[in-house]
Amino acid sequence: MIELTHDSLSFSFPEVHADARMSIEFQRTLRIPDDGKTHFLPPGMGRFPMKHVDDYADKVPVRWQERGGVMLPMFQSEAMWMRFHSQDRYPFLLKIASGKINAVTGEEWVDGPNRAPQDYVVTPDQPWLDGYCVKKGEIRQFVAVPLGKGYTAEEQITGKAEFGGVQIVAYPIKKEEWEKILAERAASRAQSGKFLSQRLMLRCCSMDMGLAPGGRMKQDITEDPYPMDVWDLRNSSRCFVHIANSLNWRAITGEAPPTIPPTAKDYSDAGLPWFDLYQDGPAVEGSEALRGLKTVKDLSAEKGESILPENEPVPTVSIVELGKQGRSIVREG
Amino acid sequence: MYYYIHMSNPFGTYIRTQREARRQNDSSFSVRQLATRIGVEPSYLSKVERGETPPPSEEKIRRLANELNDDPDVLLAMAGKVSTDLQDVIRRRPALFASLLRDLKDAPEHAVLRLVREVRDGEW
Repeated sequence: MIELTHDSLSFSFPEVHADARMSIEFQRTLRIPDDGKTHFLPPGMGRFPMKHVDDYADKVPVRWQERGGVMLPMFQSEAMWMRFHSQDRYPFLLKIASGKINAVTGEEWVDGPNRAPQDYVVTPDQPWLDGYCVKKGEIRQFVAVPLGKGYTAEEQITGKAEFGGVQIVAYPIKKEEWEKILAERAASRAQSGKFLSQRLMLRCCSMDMGLAPGGRMKQDITEDPYPMDVWDLRNSSRCFVHIANSLNWRAITGEAPPTIPPTAKDYSDAGLPWFDLYQDGPAVEGSEALRGLKTVKDLSAEKGESILPENEPVPTVSIVELGKQGRSIVREG
Repeated sequence: MYYYIHMSNPFGTYIRTQREARRQNDSSFSVRQLATRIGVEPSYLSKVERGETPPPSEEKIRRLANELNDDPDVLLAMAGKVSTDLQDVIRRRPALFASLLRDLKDAPEHAVLRLVREVRDGEW
């Protein structure tokens, strides 16, 4: 079952286990420059607001109603990342796509997970996802662009602008595996404190949007540490997250969209920190299909269009390391 | 504390009991002064308390609830009324809310404290 609570998607599987709960939120963030460099992780700047598509059925496209799910607003060229959270650290397998193109493998959407190559992420090992996995330890940031202009990963791979948005399906670990994990945790409670990564958040047209690859960023997609048969593939929940252009958000919902985040340069010039997550486990290799995609900057240059303002390089002045035992576990700007 | 509520006049009996309980410590809860504050004649409030006239309008009941620090929806229900904002909610989607209320009418309180709304999945 999926609920929308406080602008996050709450997945729960009471039929599997009372602890089988997790949430996914979509964080506003800086768009990192697409300048050939590999950047550190930008901060979170608060959740995007989310609404049930059904609540605005007379104001959204018919195909949105048919697909159901939820919607959130993004400005053209705005970036985002997804945060995965489970209070009990219950393991989940998550398949994530944009425009029904898998964000880990670049393959078109198929039901069910695949291990070779791994086409999913595993939480809580993977605390967040910032973009398309282009190679081991490197992603290209998710950047919002209008659907139908040829920029999205979906359009570059399929040649069609059909879906846009983000698609997610979650599978919980089996009940008996969770009970083993609980027993192991109880036995090793004395060695607590290992790997509790948190990326704390800063508090501080066309309607249909899709995601396209932006600047390069350092981020591992952690290899699944479990054998495939631990996952409860009989139980899953899936959700279509539509992305509305922020310029249309007020017309749809009557509410103002969030403001445009500061540029990466302004952020860095202010001396605010970037982040680096310490990850010591194996990571997936990354996708050749995704590696071959053109970035928003490259494509807009080819087309002679200007849809990516403020792409100036930034000096990365301050880096905060996260997740390494004994180091700060806070990611904030 | 338990109050005896006269079943043929639950609203009036309850108001009188609450008012008199407050008047023990605060003389401004006399019939005269309370009636003045909610904008009715003292004789009218007295008749309401005795059940000699039907309960007042929604607006006066809300003012009474405010004076007695009570829940206006509970007082309205005692008076056999439903708040106009709730009536509007039901009028907008009568079949849905009628069905919902009938489904929940016998559910224990803990079961209706939180309604779960599932995100609908469609065809994609």
